[in-house]
Amino acid sequence: MRIFTYLGTRALLALCTLVGVALLIFIAIRLVPGGFADIVLGPFVTPEAREVLTVRFGLDEPVWVQFFKWFFALLEGDLGHSLVTQQPVMSELLRRLPVTAELAFLSLVFALSIGLSLGVVSAAAAAQGGGRAGRLVGALGASVPDFVLGSIFIFVFSVWSLGLPAGGYVAFSEDPIGNIMGMILPSVTLGVFGMALILRTTRDAVLTVLTEGHITAAVARGDSPGEILRHHVLRNASILVLTVSATYFGYLLGGAVIVEVLFSVPGVGFYIYSGLLNRDYAVVQGGVLFVAALFVLLNMVVDLAYVLIDPRIGAARAQR
Amino acid sequence: MSRLWSPLAALWSVDRLAGLALGVLFVMVLLGVFGPWLPLGDPTKLAAGPRLSPPSWDFPFGTDELGRSFLPRVVEGIRYTFLLASMAVAITAVLGTLLGMLAAYLGRFFDQSVARFADLLFAFPPLLAGLLVAAVAGPGALSVITVISAATLPLFIRVIRSASLSVVERDFVVAASVAGASTWRIIARHILPNVLSAAIVQLTYALSIAMIIESALSFLGLGEQPPRASLGTLLRVSSVYLTIAPWLVGFAGLVLSLAIVSVNLLGDGLRDRVDPLKGRPLT
Repeated sequence: MRIFTYLGTRALLALCTLVGVALLIFIAIRLVPGGFADIVLGPFVTPEAREVLTVRFGLDEPVWVQFFKWFFALLEGDLGHSLVTQQPVMSELLRRLPVTAELAFLSLVFALSIGLSLGVVSAAAAAQGGGRAGRLVGALGASVPDFVLGSIFIFVFSVWSLGLPAGGYVAFSEDPIGNIMGMILPSVTLGVFGMALILRTTRDAVLTVLTEGHITAAVARGDSPGEILRHHVLRNASILVLTVSATYFGYLLGGAVIVEVLFSVPGVGFYIYSGLLNRDYAVVQGGVLFVAALFVLLNMVVDLAYVLIDPRIGAARAQR
Repeated sequence: MSRLWSPLAALWSVDRLAGLALGVLFVMVLLGVFGPWLPLGDPTKLAAGPRLSPPSWDFPFGTDELGRSFLPRVVEGIRYTFLLASMAVAITAVLGTLLGMLAAYLGRFFDQSVARFADLLFAFPPLLAGLLVAAVAGPGALSVITVISAATLPLFIRVIRSASLSVVERDFVVAASVAGASTWRIIARHILPNVLSAAIVQLTYALSIAMIIESALSFLGLGEQPPRASLGTLLRVSSVYLTIAPWLVGFAGLVLSLAIVSVNLLGDGLRDRVDPLKGRPLT
């Protein structure tokens, strides 16, 4: 019963965070020096154009009226309309979300499959005094910024033409193979950082768990290393790994701007970035809010997952 | 000199990678601090050589699109990148560790407030937050530091909090609090030593993430404004000439990556040194 109270509270708090995010973004946009109109219309604005904009966005009304109008529209899923194309921002974002989600998913698969296995191997090696190679791979992967890595990939694959396309996105429904081929470079570019992050976290978490008493007890009972790893180490180590993976997935959904721009992948990040270049602040505001909302929901799911993975934490949280 | 040398030598003898990384960072910091007085050339002199010329004896890193020698430009870039990243991370580290431990130990309302605060900051992707902040406050050093602190603080809080959560359930913390130890004593004496390795590993993450965010924002044109150029700014300009002068991206990218990799390797090495319960053999 306590668990359900906890889950309900957690969902409510996520809602509060969402409201906070909306408020913060609203304040940030309205705080712009020179005012919203100057940002949207640029410095060489005629009084008539300013008048039209003021009426259209209700800028002559008190700020709190503006906020509530904007906020209640949000509740109905209305993020406003693009200032350039007049399309609703929400439907434009939803149209691009599958592309970003595919990119994020492929990157996460790459990062988890290689990062987890290398991390466990590296920790096992480190426990016996080795593991330097794993450390080097982890440090290298976490260190090369995605735009440097992407530039190198583009240079290598455009100059030496190894056959992988470095741009020119094809929809999965049109050409599945072409879509996957086009996604290889961007998702690996994005995934290398996550691979290193997960490798390092897994290594640290496993090394920490290895020093705990119940591992010594399991060794004393004569359990095999594989059994100990599966039953005693990985489940305990998974809390930190989960934290970092969730962090990383959030980074993928929102932080893929540079990779999407670099490889011309028409995802959410690319859309928001081009909104900025076009001074289309409705798109930027709606896009950032949209991505932030995804973040918050993701965090909520992770917090709920803690309860499933580690009943101790769930019980402790519920009692408080 | 020997006093400076001996800790380096000690680290080198137990951990080659970390020792090497510390050496690289040491050289980079020296270059960043004393760069303007070194005989490397003038980073601002236009048409010092032909435009976009490949590396040569006179111009070891080649020249950029305005004929400036690229080596002193990179050295200057090191200074701005290091300065901004370390300032931002110093703010984050102190605040994040304290808030994370307090949240886990105090629980209840304080924990919820800190978690909400972290969620709120965390909900903004760093680069998009950078675009928002740059729109409000204008691009520049202050915006970059704000974005980096806002981006790394929730990571710090979350990791320290979750590391502390598994500590506050332990018997020695419960025993200390039953015995009447003050909150500050429990935090400092019982929780901090147990999350210190996590904090140090996180500090290296934060510093490397800070360098990545700084260079990414500069790459988008939102960082230090010309004529000041961080490594990211250099990469932004150089990437235009990727196909005809790849060495520019190569050198700037190499130096930036080397700096970040050194921070990460040093952190790993420190973690192994700091953690008193270093992993024992599995069998």
